[in-house]
Amino acid sequence: MKRLFSGVINGLGEIWGHKLRSLLTIACVMLGVASMVVTTGFMEGFFGTWETSLNERGGLEKINGRPHQIADRQAPLAPVSRGFTLEDARALRELVPTLGVLSPEIDDSNVRLTRGNRRHTGRVQGVTEGIFEINRYDIAEGRAFSDLDYHDHAEVIIIGSEVRKNCFEPGENPVGRFLDYNGRPFLVIGVLQHYERLYGTYNTLRWKNDIAFIPITTMASKVKRSDRLSWLNMKAQDLSRLRESVDAAGNVLAQQHRGIIDFQVTTNEEALASFASTKASFVIGGSAIAGVSLLVSGIGIMNLMLASINERVREIGIRKAIGATSFNIFSQFVAEAVTLSLLGGAAGVAVAVGAIKGLAYVIPPGSAPLLAPSAFVVGFAFSVTAGVLAGVYPAIQAAKLDPIEALRYE
Amino acid sequence: MSMVGPEVLRLDRVGKSYPMGDTIVNALVDASFTLHEGEAVAILGPSGSGKSTLMHLLGFLDSPSSGEILFEGRPVAALTERQRARIRAEKIGFVFQAFNLLPRLTVRANVALPLTYHGGEVPDAAARVDRALELVGMTNRAHHKPGELSGGQRQRVAIARALVNEPRILLADEPTGNLDTKTAAAILDLFKELNRLGRTIVVVTHSPEIAAHFKRQLHVLDGGVTEGGAK
Repeated sequence: MKRLFSGVINGLGEIWGHKLRSLLTIACVMLGVASMVVTTGFMEGFFGTWETSLNERGGLEKINGRPHQIADRQAPLAPVSRGFTLEDARALRELVPTLGVLSPEIDDSNVRLTRGNRRHTGRVQGVTEGIFEINRYDIAEGRAFSDLDYHDHAEVIIIGSEVRKNCFEPGENPVGRFLDYNGRPFLVIGVLQHYERLYGTYNTLRWKNDIAFIPITTMASKVKRSDRLSWLNMKAQDLSRLRESVDAAGNVLAQQHRGIIDFQVTTNEEALASFASTKASFVIGGSAIAGVSLLVSGIGIMNLMLASINERVREIGIRKAIGATSFNIFSQFVAEAVTLSLLGGAAGVAVAVGAIKGLAYVIPPGSAPLLAPSAFVVGFAFSVTAGVLAGVYPAIQAAKLDPIEALRYE
Repeated sequence: MSMVGPEVLRLDRVGKSYPMGDTIVNALVDASFTLHEGEAVAILGPSGSGKSTLMHLLGFLDSPSSGEILFEGRPVAALTERQRARIRAEKIGFVFQAFNLLPRLTVRANVALPLTYHGGEVPDAAARVDRALELVGMTNRAHHKPGELSGGQRQRVAIARALVNEPRILLADEPTGNLDTKTAAAILDLFKELNRLGRTIVVVTHSPEIAAHFKRQLHVLDGGVTEGGAK
C-alpha cells in the first residue's frame, strides 16, 4: 500500500514534469469517462422513470381491460354487445376467483371543480375501492368511500393534493366542505396523500395529485347517466396466476359481450418485454460507447507512456544500477499510468456531473440523464482499468531494458 | 600488500566476448584477481581495453562468458536477477563519469534513492542520507536540484548516493572524467579519505596520474588484466 502511494506520488512528479503532454492524455481519459458516465446517466434516467411509473401503475400483476376497436368482420354485429359495463365487473368478481382486485373506472375528463371564485380543471373518476390498491393511492386526511356511499350514489368526493391546492386556502381543512361539480355540491370526505418524485424540477408523479374520485355508482347514475366503463383494471392475486387470470378474464368478457371482441386485455408484461428489449439494445449501444472510450483513453495513455520511457531510458539504467529490480521498474511505470488515468477519471466524473446537471435544464424531463451513483463507481473502475491495461505493455518494455545499454544511451 | 581485510570480490579466469558484426570481440580474457575489504584499487587502461566491461562485471550489470565471479565467496552466476539487484541495492555503490543523477529529484531524494530498493523499510533512512551528505560536504545543498550544481558538486552528490547504503565496495567509472583538474583533485582526495575511513574503493580510469593515487593498480590491456606496481 505504501509502495503504491509512493508510486502515485512519484507519478504525479513525472506528470508535472510534462504538463502539456500529460494534460492531453488526461483529457483523453476524461472524455472517455465523462461520455460513459453521461451515457449511463441517460439509460438510468430513461429506465428509472419507466420502472417507477410501471410500479405506480400497478406493477406486473396488473391486467388492463379497456374498450377496443372491433375487427372489421364483426363490425355489423357491434350493436349486439353492451360494451364495458359495471355488470362485467360483477361477472368477473364472481367467475374469476384468481383476480385479487378489480377496479372498474368511469372517466370524466376536463372537468371544472369550483368553490366560490376558486376552481380546478382536470379529471374526475368514478371508482370503487379497487383503484386505491391497484394505483397505490393513500388517503392522508378524512376517509375512503363506504359501502353506503356506493349504495346511496352519494355525492361525496375524494380529492388529490393539486385539487386541494387550487380550491382551498393553504392550511384550510377541505374535509367536510363542499365542491361544485357539474352544478351539484359534492361533500369532500377525503384528501389523497401528496405524491412527489422529482426528476430535475419535474414531478413525475404529478398525475397522481391532479385527480378527484367519486363513487362509481354516483358517476354512472348522476353525472354520466351511463354505466359504460372507461377502464376495467384487474390485478392477479399473484404473479404465477397471471396468465391463467388473463385467459379467464378474456373468456368472461367475451361471454358478457356476446362474442363481440370490443375489448382488449393486456398486461404490463408485454410492456415489460418491450422495455427489456429496448433496454438490451441501449445497454449494447452504451457498452459499445464505453468500449470505444476505453480504447481511446488506453491508446492515449500507452502513447504517453511509450514516449516517456523513450526519454527516460537513462533513468531506468541508473535505477537498475543502484539496485532496482525489473519488477521495481515495472511497478513504477504502471503506477504512473494509473496515476494519469485516476486524474483523468476524476476530471471525467466532474465533467459528467456538470454535463448531467446542465442537460437537465435543456432536455425535457423523462429523457434527461440522471446522476447515478453506480455510474461513478463504473467510471472510476473504468479509468483505472484503462490505466493498468495501457500501462502494462510500456512498463514491460521499460523493465526489460538492459542496464548497460540504458546507461550508455544518450 | 599489507592491512587487507577479508575477500569481497574474486574473479577466476573470467572472460567476456560478444559479437560485433561478423567478428567476435574478446573484451576480457582469463582475468583473475581478488579484491579485499579496505583496499583502494585503480583499474587502469586505455579506452577500448575492456575496463568498462570489467566494471560492469564487478557490479553484476553483466555476466561473464566464461570463468566465475564470487561475491563474498558466493558465485554470482547462481544468483537470480532479483538477488543481484538486491546486492546492488545493499552492498555495492556506483559512481559514474556522467554523474547520472535524476534531474527531477532534489539532491536529498537522489541520495535516498538506493534505500527505496532495499528489501524492507530502512529504519534510519533519513539519518543515513544526512550522514552521506555530510561525508561529501553537500549538506547545505540538500534541497537543490542537480541542475543547480557544478560538476564537482554533482559528483559529490553521486558519491553520497553510492555511500548511502554503506556498501561493501564502491565502484567508480572515470569519476573525474568530466571534471577540471582542480575539482578532480578534490574528488580524488575524497576517495582517499573514504578509503582511510575503511571503504573499499575501485576506480576505473585511463589516466596513469589518477591511478597513481591508489595503493594497488590493475592494468587492463587488450582484454588481459595484470597486477601493476603495488606501493
